[in-house]
Amino acid sequence: MINTLLGLLHTKRHTTSDMLPDLADHALTLATVSDQPCAAADGCRACLDACPTSAVTVLPEANSDPTVTVDRGRCLACRACTDGCPTSTLVADRNTRVAVRTRAELLHSNRPLDRPTPAAPRRRPFARSLHIREVSTGDNAADMEIQAACNPIYDCFRFGLHFVASPRHADALLVTGPVGRAMAEPLRRCHAAMAEPRLVIALGCAAISGGIHAGGYAEANGVDAVLPVDVYVPGGPPHPWMILHGLFLAMGHPLGDDRSDPQITQITQMS
Amino acid sequence: MTPTTVSRADLAPQLKALIERGGRLALLTAADDGQSRLALAALVLSPDGQAAGQLRPALWRTPLDDDTLPPLTRLVPQAHWAKRALYDFFGLRPADQARPNPLLLHEAWPAHLHPLRPTPCDGAAETGEATRYRFLEVGGEGVYEIPVGPIHAGIIEPGHFRFSCHGEVIQHLEIRLGYQHRGLEEQLARTPWRQAHHVVSTISSDTAAGNALAHALAVESLLDIEPPPAAVALRAALLECERVACHLGDLIGYCADTGFAAGATAFSLLRPRAQILSEWLCGSRYQAHAIVPGGLARPLPGDQREGAEHCVTQLIDGFERAEPLLLDNSGALERMAGTGVVPRPIADEIGLVGPAGRAAGLDYDVRSALSQPPYADLGWQPARGGDGDVLARCTVRCAEIRASLTLLRRLLAQHNPDAPTRVDLPDRLPADRWACGLVEAWRGELVHLVLTGDQGQILRYAVKDPSFNNWTGLAVAARGEVVSDFPLCNKSFGLSYSGNDL
Ligand code: SF4
Ligand code: SF4
Repeated sequence: MINTLLGLLHTKRHTTSDMLPDLADHALTLATVSDQPCAAADGCRACLDACPTSAVTVLPEANSDPTVTVDRGRCLACRACTDGCPTSTLVADRNTRVAVRTRAELLHSNRPLDRPTPAAPRRRPFARSLHIREVSTGDNAADMEIQAACNPIYDCFRFGLHFVASPRHADALLVTGPVGRAMAEPLRRCHAAMAEPRLVIALGCAAISGGIHAGGYAEANGVDAVLPVDVYVPGGPPHPWMILHGLFLAMGHPLGDDRSDPQITQITQMS
Repeated sequence: MTPTTVSRADLAPQLKALIERGGRLALLTAADDGQSRLALAALVLSPDGQAAGQLRPALWRTPLDDDTLPPLTRLVPQAHWAKRALYDFFGLRPADQARPNPLLLHEAWPAHLHPLRPTPCDGAAETGEATRYRFLEVGGEGVYEIPVGPIHAGIIEPGHFRFSCHGEVIQHLEIRLGYQHRGLEEQLARTPWRQAHHVVSTISSDTAAGNALAHALAVESLLDIEPPPAAVALRAALLECERVACHLGDLIGYCADTGFAAGATAFSLLRPRAQILSEWLCGSRYQAHAIVPGGLARPLPGDQREGAEHCVTQLIDGFERAEPLLLDNSGALERMAGTGVVPRPIADEIGLVGPAGRAAGLDYDVRSALSQPPYADLGWQPARGGDGDVLARCTVRCAEIRASLTLLRRLLAQHNPDAPTRVDLPDRLPADRWACGLVEAWRGELVHLVLTGDQGQILRYAVKDPSFNNWTGLAVAARGEVVSDFPLCNKSFGLSYSGNDL
């Protein structure tokens, strides 16, 4: 008892006030595309050979350097392409503000992409608090990162984010893993049990696209194939800060503002 | 590995005799190796001709003439889940059982899908029945069932628990998994082998280092190559880091499930340290994309080693302070002692592995039993001993955290940032060969088994997560406990649902 009390006395405040900082230099991060010209015309195809999920595409162009696009919804953050790119066209993205509202925004390219800019939702019913039902379907590291977002360091509760035990109490369904055949129906039922308005958040590469599992007989092709998704949080698995960014975006919290992402700003301006 | 042929009739008696001599059945599966219809492949660990406590892997092959399995479980009870999985994946049915009970592929799957079977089942054997799962029904007055899951109340993986209770007491627990089946074994047989290390780290993504290491060991054994010593040491460091991080995560659970919030806070401040350690070691907070056949994906530069060493020191100090909070707390001890017991004879019979096995008094630890480098040179002993209850599993895990941190300190102190950490690999794998990789992952014995075809392509890739052995242990432990102690029992095993479902 005395030891417990002494232990508690020695515990200092650990909660961070620095919000959504960049990841460490040595961390494995999602890939993005810089404005450095790609050397595919000289025979390079290092990224195409390296990427385990075929997330990178390189298209030759008649009058300029090739168009390089990376689908961050399929990126496992393995750094194979960014470490091997001789021209630094593909680069590591240390930003933690990576969550987006539409699947198309997960494409990063060195050319303007033809895609509608999503309108900000008119209503923000969860601006002050969001109650979340988490459903795991095959990516337990992502589950552990969600648990980490609840620890005293990230302390998601201070922002009105709460994890609840029943879909009846939930505003948002947070899904990890690729949703194979046997989880599709339980997931649908869980969603149906939630009162409207309700949100669906796909968290991690597997949940967004099936990731490395996509295309197999188990039909583990991501949440999209089963339910409409409102927010995508890429990463393999996403860092707790990325998870918080996704939850902020779902709430309509100012910290979820995706325009603070330089890459997205750049692409929006170009288009 | 060259397989030894064991006849259909001899398989069960020989396995039983092997286990009684101190050997182990590490993995039991089937494969189409081109020589018969299908053959059973049993990866066994044999004590024959070895020093005391040492085991050597060997492969037994049992050709099958039809789709029936030889009798197994009466003599080798621990093969009961493997037997059911053989029906799911290969359509092989027990000769002595009229209707097979599926293990992983139940209602959500078409009745006739046996995804790893090269040819369709014999028509006669497959007429019209649906793959319906049958739960054991417990009879008697006042017995009622509590169905839980597949979706659970916490942030945890899906699975179904069916409790048959009398009053508050659990009479029987049946665990039905398979909800996260992603077709990994089939996928590993069609993924180019150079990319396969990315796939194996998703088998159970909290065991990325364990699975990547088992995969690397299997491929290196196929190719007959050795990774450089610096890589062997750093791979062990990653494996031990995974052990520390995951055990710390479960200690949060022990505290939370005994209602001890101060302890939960103490451990939840330590666990992130272990993830930062992992990030220093390999860039990933989950030891992913680091271990590859031939060595390591990236070397460990000197500044990252310093960061890692600093983390290890912080973890050693922090754990020294946090451990007594739990193990000296009478409230927590009272909940843990005598709860969820797996007696030693049952642990032997069901082939319990990992900390749960050692907590029940078994000695088996892959690191020592197979004298794996670099452990033999580090003056290290596996933690063991206990009464097989929640408390024993807790103390064994605490002892493992301490041992792993000491190992990490030694491994990092020896590390030379300029030493090579990777050897080049040939373009293709040798043809028609079997190889295995065994690892003491944080949950216990993790096995990968590979068979290549005549072009060096992977014909069969089988995986056995330690949870596949230990879920039965949880069902045993829950019997006779009150329902409200189940979460604590469950956490004390800390099993993987996805590693089991594949
Ligand atoms: S970092 Fe992402 S895009 Fe690059 S190779 Fe890895 S998975 Fe593919
Ligand atoms: S690795 Fe870099 S230079 Fe080579 S094709 Fe890919 S983007 Fe272009």
